[in-house]
Amino acid sequence: MQTGSETVIRATGLTKVYSSGALEVQALRGVDFAATAGEFIVILGPSGSGKSTFLNILGGLDSASAGQVLFRDLDLTRLDERGLTAYRRDHVGFVFQFYNLVPSLTALENVALVTEIARNPMSPAEALDLVGLSARANHFPAHLSGGEQQRVAIARAIAKRPDLLFCDEPTGALDSATGVRVLEALTEVNRAIGATTMVITHNAAIREIADRSLRFADGLTVEETANAARKSPSEVSW
Amino acid sequence: MVIPPLRRKVLRDLRRLWAQALAIALVLASGVATLILGNGAHDSLSETRARYYAEQGFADVFADVTRAPLALLADIAALDGVLQAEARIVKLGRAELPGVDEPASILMVSLPGGQGAGLNRLHLRQGRLPDPQSAREAVISEDFATAHRLWPGSTLPVVMNGKRRELTVTGIALSPEFIYALGPGEMMPDPRRFGIAWMPRPTLAAAFDLEGAFSNIVLRLAPGASEDRVIEGLDRLTTRYGGGGATGRDEQLSHAFLDTELKQLGAMVRILPPIFLLVAAMLVHMTLSRLITLEREQIGLLKAMGYGPRSIGGHYLEFVLVIALFGIALGFGAGAWLGAGMARVYAKFYSFPFLLFAPDPRVYAIAALVTLAAATAGALQPVRAVLSLPPAVAMAPPAPADYRQAGRLARALPLRQTSRMVARHLLRWPMRTATSVLGIAMAVAVLVASLWSIGSIDYMIDVTYSRAERQDVRISFVAAEPSAALQDARALPSVLAAEPFRAVPARISNGPRSKRLSVEGRTADADLSRVLAPDLRPMPMPSHGLILSEALAEALAVTRGERVTVEFLEGRRRTLSLPVSGISLGYVGLGAAMEIGALNRAMGEGALISGVNLAVDPAGMAEFFAAARAAPKTSFLNVTALTVGRFRATLAENITIMITVYTSLAAIIAVGVVYNFSRIALSEQGRELASLRVLGFTRAEVAGVLFTELAVVVLLAQPLGWLIGHGIGLAMAASFASDLFRVPFVMGREVYATASLVVIAAAILSALAIRGRIDRLDLVAVLKTRE
Repeated sequence: MQTGSETVIRATGLTKVYSSGALEVQALRGVDFAATAGEFIVILGPSGSGKSTFLNILGGLDSASAGQVLFRDLDLTRLDERGLTAYRRDHVGFVFQFYNLVPSLTALENVALVTEIARNPMSPAEALDLVGLSARANHFPAHLSGGEQQRVAIARAIAKRPDLLFCDEPTGALDSATGVRVLEALTEVNRAIGATTMVITHNAAIREIADRSLRFADGLTVEETANAARKSPSEVSW
Repeated sequence: MVIPPLRRKVLRDLRRLWAQALAIALVLASGVATLILGNGAHDSLSETRARYYAEQGFADVFADVTRAPLALLADIAALDGVLQAEARIVKLGRAELPGVDEPASILMVSLPGGQGAGLNRLHLRQGRLPDPQSAREAVISEDFATAHRLWPGSTLPVVMNGKRRELTVTGIALSPEFIYALGPGEMMPDPRRFGIAWMPRPTLAAAFDLEGAFSNIVLRLAPGASEDRVIEGLDRLTTRYGGGGATGRDEQLSHAFLDTELKQLGAMVRILPPIFLLVAAMLVHMTLSRLITLEREQIGLLKAMGYGPRSIGGHYLEFVLVIALFGIALGFGAGAWLGAGMARVYAKFYSFPFLLFAPDPRVYAIAALVTLAAATAGALQPVRAVLSLPPAVAMAPPAPADYRQAGRLARALPLRQTSRMVARHLLRWPMRTATSVLGIAMAVAVLVASLWSIGSIDYMIDVTYSRAERQDVRISFVAAEPSAALQDARALPSVLAAEPFRAVPARISNGPRSKRLSVEGRTADADLSRVLAPDLRPMPMPSHGLILSEALAEALAVTRGERVTVEFLEGRRRTLSLPVSGISLGYVGLGAAMEIGALNRAMGEGALISGVNLAVDPAGMAEFFAAARAAPKTSFLNVTALTVGRFRATLAENITIMITVYTSLAAIIAVGVVYNFSRIALSEQGRELASLRVLGFTRAEVAGVLFTELAVVVLLAQPLGWLIGHGIGLAMAASFASDLFRVPFVMGREVYATASLVVIAAAILSALAIRGRIDRLDLVAVLKTRE
């Protein structure tokens, strides 16, 4: 999918300070960032560099200490808890390292969990089909492999047709072959639904599948690389 | 002092889980408290009674005669097994207190000549005993004195045998014979309208024309003597003097009422504490199982470090025992406090010179042991699971929950996914769901099993006084009168209707089963005092045969159409065989009814009546009382409105206490179960619920998932609780039934509704206590950790 010129999300001077008692940790120190519709961005950086905090604030899971985040015209930094919940519900899909599937629901039902509360969802079966898991629709998470669980999580994240898809270490718990399959699923849904996709990873090689990659260090973006051509996940060597 | 690390962990765990631990401790404390209260009250009541009886020389056998010569006393005392015999004059009179409209009965009892000797000795509270030579002095019962503000020196006008006399109160006393002082024909003690006056024999002998004679005899038996044989001998000796109906303590009114109370306490001890201990054991099991699941890796680590299974198992047991000990301490306090309250209630009903709630230390010890056992039983299985866990397995995370089994059940249903989560979670742990349902059902059952009695007593009053005994006033004569007395009664002012009755003491038997009671004769078409069939329809009096109350028919094991032997204990004392023509409803006492003409024919006497039932114009009550009082034949009056009023007032006082106590107990169970259940559910599903929040579910929607689960458990528990409560209530009604009264088992829908409302309210409150924790779920942390 072509990346459009419309800016979907923009952060300016984003700062996050965690304080516990006298101790203050500066997780983000004034990050400026913008992403356009349909863009696929990989975020790299060592542990503690602030990349997860950055993604959490953009995803409406955490709030900034200073600076501004605009989703289109919506100022996330001004939203209260209720507003952030609605923002996540309507616009954001999440994929996490540990899948976070509901163990008491089958693959299909995990996806349906989201489609039931979304405004314009695809059918759960369609979402599973997109990640190639139609055959496993009626299996419970305990009976799916790690890669399959992660693909269910992706299907669940994109079934609402989100504007933004945030993935925090989606391949972190997987072996490389499985990781490739998960990344293929991600690039496929990015292409199919046009969601701006941001993937955090420790694996620098993965940046080659993105339109653009950012490197975080010490609470700041220290490097930004645009790829002229995206590789497919299977072409990337781990 | 160095605290070993595992003990320090116990303390920290308790601090962390204080609310759950407290909820369990409260349930345990309720069990302990009800055990101490029930056993303590039972013991203190029965021991106080036993000591009081021993100190005051309470008699073993009691008999009334019409008039027997004092010379007979020597024969009676010589009966085998008799240790002491005392001939007395016991007669009913009327107190005529200035300014008191309503009639008050006074039972006059002669004092033995030698003071301080004899049986049923008085316990003097104030003043002195009367001068044996005085014809005016009397000692009166304390409650009556208090109700009428009489004290030594006061004057008490009484009517004895139709003659008015002014007595001087010399003292105020208690007697073991009248611990529960019930007036004739009454349902509750009413010290305003019934009292006892003890006076020297000569006064009473003169008034009742009983010089050289007696009307009542009491015996004390030698240890090991056969009560039945003595009664037989006594009846043989007294029959020709109008006796023949001697009874043991079991039929002595005051004693029998205390027995009923003891029986009820016994039932309470058998029912309530086991419920609490069962629920507490279930809670311990539930909570400890979850704690151990959460600490699985720590347990593996401890084992790997070389801690033996004994010390790790002991650690968790210690955690439970600390909670149990706290519950026990709390229960000791609550039990002692409630016991003191119970003693105050008893002091109101029972006239004891002393009544202390000081249970035997053994009661406390037993309560503590039983409670520790219950808590340990709850901990046993989870602790055993810890012991058997190999360290390597323990350190690995547990296998993910498999929902395949549970999944099948909820798949077909058209549910929202969140509802499906709820259904599967409940089905995945069926034992926990079942025990939680059972726990909450027990809370409902405690309420149902206690609250039903309120409606039942109401029903009993309604049936007895609005449908059966519909007279406004019942006049009982001193002795049977010719039926012309009915005309005199009808002529009293304000009387609207009058119907005669005849009451004859009799022994009715069927083979070896026999009961002593009063056979009551009514006119065939009596409309004021009616006998009701079990379906509440009035039963016409049969021309021949008897109608027995259900209680009597059961006691004698007879049914309609069979014959019973009736031995009249008055007049010619005939014994005859009569058919049972019907079975009637009756909640108070044992009842046998006949048509009045048939009864008189059976007696072989003329047309006699023992009294009249009257309908009286309410506007002319005062006038009526004044005239009725003056009638010489009147022995005592029962005024239905006063009887019912007293009954209701007494009940109203106790119902408030009862509702408060049982509601608190039920709420403790409900809160304990719901709070623990929801904390555990939250701990298990915290991660899923946080994930839902990340997916865009609102706080309310996420809380809704947990609350739905709770609601299902609470709602499932309702019908089960109704059922269990119904069963317990039924068993209680059966166990309360005595010859004195039986409580109808009427379970109204409002009982179920009230019980459910209380429990649901308690459940909602404890659910709200969890709400804050759901709202504070850490969304970010949950995503970063592996389950």
